[in-house]
Amino acid sequence: MRIIKLNNQIKKRFIFLIIIFVCFSSSIVLISYSLKDQIAYFVSPSELLQMKDLDSRYLRVGGLVKEGSLKFENNIWEFEIIDEENQSIKVEFSKTLPNLVEENKGIIVEGRVLKENLFIAEIVLAKHDENYMPQSAIDKMQEDGIWRGN
Amino acid sequence: MFAITPNTLSAFLNSISKYIVLLMILLLGFSAILITLLENDYYQGVSFKIMFIHVPAAWLSLLIFSTMGISSIIGLVFKSPTAFTISRAISPIGLIMSIIVLVTGSIWGNLTWGTYWVWDARLTSMLILCFIYLGHILLLYSFDHFQKADFAASILAIIGLINLPIVKFSVDWWTTLHQGSTVFRVGGPSITSDYLITLLVSFFALLLLCIYWFSNIFYIIIENRRIERSKLLNQ
Repeated sequence: MRIIKLNNQIKKRFIFLIIIFVCFSSSIVLISYSLKDQIAYFVSPSELLQMKDLDSRYLRVGGLVKEGSLKFENNIWEFEIIDEENQSIKVEFSKTLPNLVEENKGIIVEGRVLKENLFIAEIVLAKHDENYMPQSAIDKMQEDGIWRGN
Repeated sequence: MFAITPNTLSAFLNSISKYIVLLMILLLGFSAILITLLENDYYQGVSFKIMFIHVPAAWLSLLIFSTMGISSIIGLVFKSPTAFTISRAISPIGLIMSIIVLVTGSIWGNLTWGTYWVWDARLTSMLILCFIYLGHILLLYSFDHFQKADFAASILAIIGLINLPIVKFSVDWWTTLHQGSTVFRVGGPSITSDYLITLLVSFFALLLLCIYWFSNIFYIIIENRRIERSKLLNQ
């Protein structure tokens, strides 16, 4: 008799916890779903090109630095950011670049669109990817002909 | 779980603690040697080696929070004092681990990204995890009776479990400055095997350190309660 009563209490406490958990998690899911665009840290160039009312809106654009586009002229860095859909945007930046900014590597720029397809960056951040390997592994892969990077 | 009292668990942890310390020192030394001998990353150079403290601490802060949440559920549902004491003893270790993650991550970020801090989804959710740990500890010590404190803090730990998948999958769900998952990802680890072995060795070394630390905090909590009880009896 006592065991049955105890089981009922355990069941009640368990259901109470499940209700608390479900209420809170559904509220968190709804909040993060409605703030989806704000939580995203940057947009890709192709998303940027689809945006309207860009007049001096402060935003972040991310992608890869296009191969052969990084140059330094008149104290201004110029490069193009390209995404997977081959859309690109030209960027100008007048301060010091982070060390890891290289061609064909990830980058995020923060600033404003000046005119059609020209972005004036105020902050530039290097975005490295999740692959880690020593140079010797790359040499070996190049010898074996399975290296697909740059 | 129900036959184990806090005293028997504490006695068990004390009996194995010297093996844990021995293994921990071995693994710590081994991982230090491995980290020194490793070749630098082709792109980030030597700065990527901070990963071997950052990533194990990050895994541990998530692992400790899930342990805390599960033992809080067991404690609340089955009224188990052992489970409550486990989550009470493990919480400060999780706080320290999440602070280590934030500090080493900031240093690494300054070296590679070019900034100490940004408000992207991964970094912000990790900061929230750190604050939930802090709130859990504050709740534990803001009641006169530890049973009430355990009840309140357990509710917070269970609600905080929602944050764990957000921390883990934030890099997949939203665009972030933080890179994606390297080890636990679809398609296998994107890391060479020598780096992966070093990472696992340093993870197990840090895990043993946490277990040893946990057994000490657990013992102190039990002893404090015993002393309080004997004081009350002698009055």
